[in-house]
Amino acid sequence: MTSATMDTTEQVRDRVRDAGARGTSVRITGRGTWIDAGRAVRATTELSTRDLSGIVAYVPGDLTLTARAGTTLAELREATAPHNQWLALDPHGSDDGTLGATVATASTGPLSTAFGAPRDLVLGIEFVTGAGAIARGGGRVVKNVAGFDLARLFTGSWGTLGVITEVTVRLHARPSADASFAVELPNGAGDVERVRNALRQAPFIPYACEILNEHLSRSLIGSETDAAIFRLGGNAEAVEAQRRALEAIGTPREVDANVWTRLRAVEPEGAIVFRLSRAGSEIAGIWTEAQAILHGCPGAMIHARPARGIVRVIVPRDERSIAQLRVGLAARAIAKRVGERMPNDLWPLIGPSATADDLSTRMKQAFDPRRVLNPGIFGEPT
Amino acid sequence: MTTAIKPRVDASLADRLAEIVGARRVLNRASELLTYTSDGLPSYHKEPALAVFPGTRDELIAVVRELAARGVPFVPRGAGTGLSGGALADGVVIVGLNRLSRIISIDAENAVAVVEPGVVNVALSRAAAAYGLHYAPDPSSQAACTIGGNVAENAGGPHCLKYGVTTNHVLALTVLLPSGEIVTLGGAGGEQDGYDLVGAFVGSEGCFGIALDITVRLSKNPQAVRTLLADFMSIDAAARAVSAIVATGIVPAALEMIDQATIRAVEASIYAAGYPVDAAAALLIEVDGALAGLEHDVETIESLCREAGARTIRVARDETERTRLWQGRKKAFGAMGRLAPHLVVQDAVVPRTKLPEVLERIREIGVERRVRVCNVFHAGDGNLHPNIPYDASDADETARVHLAMRDIMKLCVDAGGTITGEHGVGIDKLPYMDLIFSSDSLATMCTLREVFDPSRRSNPGKVVPLHACREWHMSPAARSRS
Repeated sequence: MTSATMDTTEQVRDRVRDAGARGTSVRITGRGTWIDAGRAVRATTELSTRDLSGIVAYVPGDLTLTARAGTTLAELREATAPHNQWLALDPHGSDDGTLGATVATASTGPLSTAFGAPRDLVLGIEFVTGAGAIARGGGRVVKNVAGFDLARLFTGSWGTLGVITEVTVRLHARPSADASFAVELPNGAGDVERVRNALRQAPFIPYACEILNEHLSRSLIGSETDAAIFRLGGNAEAVEAQRRALEAIGTPREVDANVWTRLRAVEPEGAIVFRLSRAGSEIAGIWTEAQAILHGCPGAMIHARPARGIVRVIVPRDERSIAQLRVGLAARAIAKRVGERMPNDLWPLIGPSATADDLSTRMKQAFDPRRVLNPGIFGEPT
Repeated sequence: MTTAIKPRVDASLADRLAEIVGARRVLNRASELLTYTSDGLPSYHKEPALAVFPGTRDELIAVVRELAARGVPFVPRGAGTGLSGGALADGVVIVGLNRLSRIISIDAENAVAVVEPGVVNVALSRAAAAYGLHYAPDPSSQAACTIGGNVAENAGGPHCLKYGVTTNHVLALTVLLPSGEIVTLGGAGGEQDGYDLVGAFVGSEGCFGIALDITVRLSKNPQAVRTLLADFMSIDAAARAVSAIVATGIVPAALEMIDQATIRAVEASIYAAGYPVDAAAALLIEVDGALAGLEHDVETIESLCREAGARTIRVARDETERTRLWQGRKKAFGAMGRLAPHLVVQDAVVPRTKLPEVLERIREIGVERRVRVCNVFHAGDGNLHPNIPYDASDADETARVHLAMRDIMKLCVDAGGTITGEHGVGIDKLPYMDLIFSSDSLATMCTLREVFDPSRRSNPGKVVPLHACREWHMSPAARSRS
């Protein structure tokens, strides 16, 4: 596959138009850190936005930032930290990933418990449509209802409607206190339910709360059982009160803040990753379902985000696990499944694409009539 | 783009709709239709051909399918409290949704409610109160406006500073497309992948179809609430206090600014809230959440206000005082109504750091154009509401009001802001869309609209200026040559 990097929006547009005219297709990438994510893309050339990088506008007092799509999350962190601010997005993987890819894939991480998904933080975007037009949606201010909401439409569209070239995001001020705690959970799914109930009844929302299976909690926090890790933010008094509230679940012990970065980067090279989800009240059932699917997969890791009803599983890739998953995933399922990284032949077991409905098909046809962009990524028919 | 089918709004349509909903629910006499000729912004007047009020989901579906079969354009309408001339059009059928007012379910365990489009905003919070929950977006018109209307406009409100606007609270929609097709967008249980069609629909101002039901997220009622009123001898000082508070990391539930002209209007009305009438501006600040740590946040905010030059700071002692402070703010538009027969309610957003200079420039515009500007707005978001009371029967004054409004829009756009933060484009802001969007961006919005409504019959003539859509029918290559 030939590859080209673009450093202006106009170059991206010309490239997309050119592909349309030739009847070829392009795969859109950022830094390529999540290159094996998603379904296999049938494309003859690659278009990388990695050189389309840099912060375009950042006035700390506005708590907004505009950057070109290829800017890495690490660059954003370095720019905002001196002002005691952050972009509260921590997708799985590392901060070497780009803003454009994070938004295009609507990737979330532990902080989505309190701060929501990219759709809640994106204020405006610039993009090149599959038809080769440069357009913008939203703007650079924190509240905006001018025009139809192209910014939300493009967030999570996986580069199938257009190539995102610039993004404006909402930032948050860092709290004066930010501490992380672990609570051991020796009683399996019953404890998952207890954590969920405690969160529901608490008068606060933690910045993050993840439940870890034994394998994951051993490697991240040296615990011998399942465990829950919490990130608490606010002023010192609020954080202390939140810590005390965790005593309803178990005995909280403080853990190093790097547990979150380590969780995000925990998957081994080539691992199979997918998520199960349903209403938050069913988190314990999803947890049990994940364990059933993974039965007999050595080294499988599971973590749950009760606030969002999501259980994420990570399976080191080996023949035995793939064979086991083929059986486990074929069993009757309650939870919705979303794939992150899968061998090609496991994709059909994850379920039909969410873009197979008429309206989504028409959307794709309207924005990318020549089928130039990321063909196959949503598993759509040719 | 004019539609190929010539719409047929005639007696046979009225008769057919009467068969579906009952004769009493179809209005076609001019006197009966008067209410539907304008919305909350009385400066626009359009004449619909008919108004129909289905009482059930099935009736609504039958009505829209009948209109589709005849190629008749229609305007979905909730309570008609909108402020952009968005729920009116000439020669259309108004589809009134206010009778579809059933709260279908409340799932307290997952903090989710399913409602019909005509449910009044505050009625949902009242119903959810039994579970310690509420619906967070709280437009000033919340006692009258409907959730369906809120979805169409992506409505905001004072508490959106902390809790987010409508789009952050809608999980799923069952939508009746203008063609009569029914589609399900999003979902309440589990992650949503694929295109964010809920995100695309929310804020589409009635141009994409009608929500048959809406699934929203409910929010926990806060354990504690503290409301402060700080007054300042200059607008600049108040604006600096806003910036200082936002920078601390404390996210107030609300952070509202009320200027002197508004304070005086409120204090002279039945909604008098005890705001100091000699202050240049007052900030109404609310923090909420867990009790632990809340007093500390209140103290921090008090000291930041003092550093910025606050003259007095009052913390509401009880719920009665808190309600009174809010009453003045929420009824400010009504109080302004007493100053003159007509009122232009304006809506724009600027970056928060630009507030001091933009407010000063708005004051100058008021002087230059000889109009009285009353500012009452969501300062924490930079969402301005410069309102102008005037007498529409005075042609000279009306002209000056329009010039002042244009100046203010231009000013906000030049400051890096936008032309509407929560009221929508409707027809009122159409002339300004070109100021912030390129023709390709507007054409792309037309493309999006056509996915939902290829015949452009649902709320015709709103959001995107017509000329921008015509252009789209040329190929991109043809456009790049022109």
